[in-house]
Amino acid sequence: MKTNKLLFAAFMLTAFLAYSHAMSAQAASPKSGKPSGAPQWSVQVDKVDQGDVILESAFRVAIYENLLDEMAKTKRFKQVFRSGDHHAADVPDLLILKTTVQKYTAGSETRRTVTTVSGATKLKVSSQLTTKDGKVVLEKVVDGNVRFFGGNLRATHNLAHNIGTQIKESTLPPPNAATAEGSIERRMEASADSVSTSEMDVR
Amino acid sequence: MNHRNIPSKAALGARIPTRRKLACLLLLIACSAMLAQNPSASPAAAGGSSVRATHILGLQGVSKSAGGNLSIDGDALKFQKTEGAAAQVPISSIQDVSLGVEDRQVGGVPLAVGRAATPYAGGRVIGLFSHKKYDTLTLEYLDADGGLHGAIFEISKGQAEGFKDALVAKGAHVKVEGQTAAASTPEVKK
Repeated sequence: MKTNKLLFAAFMLTAFLAYSHAMSAQAASPKSGKPSGAPQWSVQVDKVDQGDVILESAFRVAIYENLLDEMAKTKRFKQVFRSGDHHAADVPDLLILKTTVQKYTAGSETRRTVTTVSGATKLKVSSQLTTKDGKVVLEKVVDGNVRFFGGNLRATHNLAHNIGTQIKESTLPPPNAATAEGSIERRMEASADSVSTSEMDVR
Repeated sequence: MNHRNIPSKAALGARIPTRRKLACLLLLIACSAMLAQNPSASPAAAGGSSVRATHILGLQGVSKSAGGNLSIDGDALKFQKTEGAAAQVPISSIQDVSLGVEDRQVGGVPLAVGRAATPYAGGRVIGLFSHKKYDTLTLEYLDADGGLHGAIFEISKGQAEGFKDALVAKGAHVKVEGQTAAASTPEVKK
């Protein structure tokens, strides 16, 4: 009986030690995709491009405003700028979030309440994170729907939340690397241009 | 003499549950229909310079779903919360004003709970009557740094058009359908 108690106590102690060790290790390790102490990107949220889709202004504006909120919530960016903000031009490590609406299905809260199965508001957008020189860092197609509860504009909140989650879960290249890649690309383009001009000169 | 036949207790007991349920259902429908009725436009609203509004999102310093009074105060659009400070946007900074119509269920959480608790899918019937149409007023404006802001207000049906006209008369820009952003920027001539 006494041995059983001792064994149980030893087991509990081991379990507690293992759990506390795992927790401390989890706390010490940086979150996935978020380099600790590394330079961070800033982001500028661009106006929502509705493309060929007929979308109410309220939805366009709500997506934009909700995206600004969600970008701040991700804590992946040093600063979040609005579209057209003059201060963004001076920021070196800037990503631009471009959102293009691909599909929109207008819904009705009353239809949702009465029928449950119909009347969903659906939004589908293509979301791109690009550098200043147009290099695409991240591209995702994201949905935002309201199927049961809430008003139609809630779809924009859900959409922005999903975009925020996608960005949070993805790994962005470090700012320096992306800028260097961009500069390498630019240099290669420049050298290609010089080659072609020299060829033209020869001719 | 006003004399009525009172049914026996046993008969009454058998009929009460259904009657009660029906009465409750009718009462809920009546209440929801009353809630869904649109208030008539006030004389001030007809002029379009001041309307009761609910802030949906976007206006800085104002919480979502805050109720208040939307008015034109000199050269600024003013949203005076029912309780608290007012928020102002210069009319000259407004880049676009657009209107929309939305439809939503009234009564909030209490009526939603009532709908869910109503037997025989009576909640769906209540849902048919407990909705209300309202206008949305969407503004796009620039701040001092050139950053684009958007704000959405919910206004009683029929009042937003007059308010939009008043804003336009005061100098707010309105994008014509098909007008692109590039059209508003100065053209670069070679």
